[in-house]
Amino acid sequence: MKHTWAMAIDLDRCTGCGACVVACNAENNIPVIGEAEAGKNRLMHWIRVNRYWEGEYPEAQAVYLPIPCMQCERAPCELVCPVYATYHNEDGLNAMVYNRCIGTRYCANNCPYSVRVFNWYDYKWEKPLDEQLSPDLTVRSRGVMEKCTFCIQRIRRAKETAAEEGREIRDGEVVPACVQTCPPGALLFGDLADPHSEITRKLKDPRRFRLMEHLGTEPRVVYLKRQKGAGR
Amino acid sequence: MSTEAPRADDHHLAQTDETALFERLSRSNLVTTWKWYLGVAAAGAVLLWGVIVFLYMAMVGMGVTGYNKPVFWGLYEASLVFWIGLSHSGTLISAILRLTHATWRAPVLRGAEAMTAFTLMVGGIIPIIHLGRNWRVYYALPYPSSRELWPNMRSPLMWDAMAITTYLIGSLTFLYVGMIPDLALLRDKSAGGRRKFYSALSLGFRGTHAQWRRYHVASTLFAILIIPIAVSVHSIVSWDFAMAKVPGWHSTIFAPYFVVGAIFSGIAGVVIVMAILRKAFRLERVLTPLHFDNLGKLLCTMTLLWGYFYFTEFLTVWYNRNPEEWEVFSSYAGPYLPLFLTMIVCNFVIPFPMLCLKRVRRSVFLILVPACSIVIGMYAERLLIVIPSLARRNDPFIWANYFPTWVEFSVMAGAAAMFVLLYMLFAKFFPIMAISDIKERLFHTSDRTFGGTTVESIAQVEGEEEAHA
Amino acid sequence: MSTVIVGLFDGVETAARAGRALKGLSLPGGSVTTISAVPLPDGAVVTDPTPVRFPRIVIAGWFVGAAAGLGLTLATYMLYPLVTGGKTIVSVPPTLIITYEVAMLGALLGTLFGGGREMGLLRFPPKVIHDPRIHDGKIALCARVEGDEQARRTIEAMREAGGTEVRAEEGEL
Repeated sequence: MKHTWAMAIDLDRCTGCGACVVACNAENNIPVIGEAEAGKNRLMHWIRVNRYWEGEYPEAQAVYLPIPCMQCERAPCELVCPVYATYHNEDGLNAMVYNRCIGTRYCANNCPYSVRVFNWYDYKWEKPLDEQLSPDLTVRSRGVMEKCTFCIQRIRRAKETAAEEGREIRDGEVVPACVQTCPPGALLFGDLADPHSEITRKLKDPRRFRLMEHLGTEPRVVYLKRQKGAGR
Repeated sequence: MSTEAPRADDHHLAQTDETALFERLSRSNLVTTWKWYLGVAAAGAVLLWGVIVFLYMAMVGMGVTGYNKPVFWGLYEASLVFWIGLSHSGTLISAILRLTHATWRAPVLRGAEAMTAFTLMVGGIIPIIHLGRNWRVYYALPYPSSRELWPNMRSPLMWDAMAITTYLIGSLTFLYVGMIPDLALLRDKSAGGRRKFYSALSLGFRGTHAQWRRYHVASTLFAILIIPIAVSVHSIVSWDFAMAKVPGWHSTIFAPYFVVGAIFSGIAGVVIVMAILRKAFRLERVLTPLHFDNLGKLLCTMTLLWGYFYFTEFLTVWYNRNPEEWEVFSSYAGPYLPLFLTMIVCNFVIPFPMLCLKRVRRSVFLILVPACSIVIGMYAERLLIVIPSLARRNDPFIWANYFPTWVEFSVMAGAAAMFVLLYMLFAKFFPIMAISDIKERLFHTSDRTFGGTTVESIAQVEGEEEAHA
Repeated sequence: MSTVIVGLFDGVETAARAGRALKGLSLPGGSVTTISAVPLPDGAVVTDPTPVRFPRIVIAGWFVGAAAGLGLTLATYMLYPLVTGGKTIVSVPPTLIITYEVAMLGALLGTLFGGGREMGLLRFPPKVIHDPRIHDGKIALCARVEGDEQARRTIEAMREAGGTEVRAEEGEL
């Protein structure tokens, strides 16, 4: 069965806690780069939580916008890679091939959402922190681009399990780390090709919008507009 | 009105002591001073430093540079555009002046063509320098790999690769073929090892009538071919930016704008190189104020053209106030104000009024002021194109400024030193003046008396049919 | 290997006089030529009867390059097709760009090799006619002759026209 993976982010529920960021870092072998490097704007978060301010003090309100990779249907990043290190796979995901990347960083320049991050150094996990690394995916070398993959290792595992058991993937079986962790349940993941999945139902909501839609990237991440006012 | 036509052997070449002319023009080959050794040593040292720093960067990671998210391209990529832009010098001088039969082109030809070839080599190395995994650059080559993968020709970087390769081969060929008669001359004038060297390089050219005819056709064909290649190369380099979804980059004007900017910086580069050659090799009588005057007039035209293109770009953004682009342009008044002012002042405010004055153009010292100013201004312009658009791109939350570190400065200094070194070595072993073209020009020039005044008359062979008449 | 009469002339006038005289001797066509440090206009001293042919190679090179560029692009698209950016596998505009660049490269190489071949470069025959004094302002007029009678008359004609150092040499013209 052909899948159309998508993510729904309900901005009414997002509290900006950042648990999704931590979960993603833990799941995907993302290094902690330290304060100095973070000060140089080199954060390696595959999902980030944007914070915008609305209004002036003392009525200032923070608005949070979690931004994973949009897995654009017409991904501008795929086009410009000279070596096919990123391409569109059968599941409609934007796949990243680490060992093909030569580090031109053009894909990062062409991503309007700035979701792509670059390995500026060979990051090390000093013992015993190396025991936290997930064996399901690599540790990337310096000079290689990386980005959110919708936890493709979990998608693959679910596909393998379902194939072994001779069935289709059930709705809710594939849960990326961020979706799994989100305390208020703002993130939802599922298969839009399945007409009965929770995400298909959720995305009938009239609050839906996509980020920077005018750029024609056709993202797979759909946001649900924040409607509740201050003091909710 | 009485005019006296000169007779066939009244031309200037017959009145010249050709041996003295040869020695004057070949001073760079025949005489080596301690200054040359010092220059080569200095350039070599800076190049070596650049290579060492580059290897350090390759082994430790690009984190030692100032790059960050979202400014993933910075000094290296701006320098790439700058060096490829400088390479349009020789193309303009050699090709266009050849095709338009500009009578003053001869002394400038070789130096400009050499500048093209070597700036292009520097520009061609930078795409390897700026990679995160330089040692895997061969992935971009179309070869049958064990992964059965091929490069992605949809990427503007692959267009870059094709275009720069073609232009490099073209400009080296252009330079070399242009040198063949001079190499034959050097062969005939030298002995021993040098004779063997020049013999091999001159490929057996002798100067028979049939050879000259075909040589002329080949030179013309090269000139005709190299111009569209040069235009396409810088258009393609501009498309590295114009194809991107980056505010301030995605503009249709980029291709002609970059080509104009390239020719602009190229001519300024030629002025500087010619001034240095003139001083270093005592070519005051060959590179005359007339040449700098004409180059200055071209430079003045290009100043206006560049100003016109830049104003057009600015006008459309200002008028439309598209928020994404407006944020980029607003940053020119903010953290990028110094760069912006440098660009405007150095590209237009200083050069234009100066180049309008004949006194400036005819003075080799004074014309260096606008020329150097333009080179600085164009470098600032390249930086201003690359950095603010990334630093103030679509998502305001991740905006960040960029400043290069000692690593980037060192590597780029090494690249500049590479150009200087290549050029100095070239001038030492190869004829830096187009001796045959200069002789040909003298051969065609005679003095014609118009009543009370005598004017230089330059013969022009327009076509084969007239010659047979 | 043939007999060539070589004479040095001080300028175009004297060389042209000799050229006219040699024309009167009806030597086989294409066997009289000048060697000079600067190109002489066609017809000044001698005319070149053979047309310049290598521009055809340039055009052929352009088409060969275009075919190579087109082939290269299509091959890289189709041998391992990958969807990028929602564009079709065979994307036309990049194909045009790559085809154009390689075509221009083909034309360049055609000019280089075609022109080089027609100029007779890179052939280093054992003995070739040349006189380094052409770089001192002299024009060398060379005539390939067959037989002693032709040689004698050619030498005479050149000497009469004002040629110096008129001699017979064995070599390739």
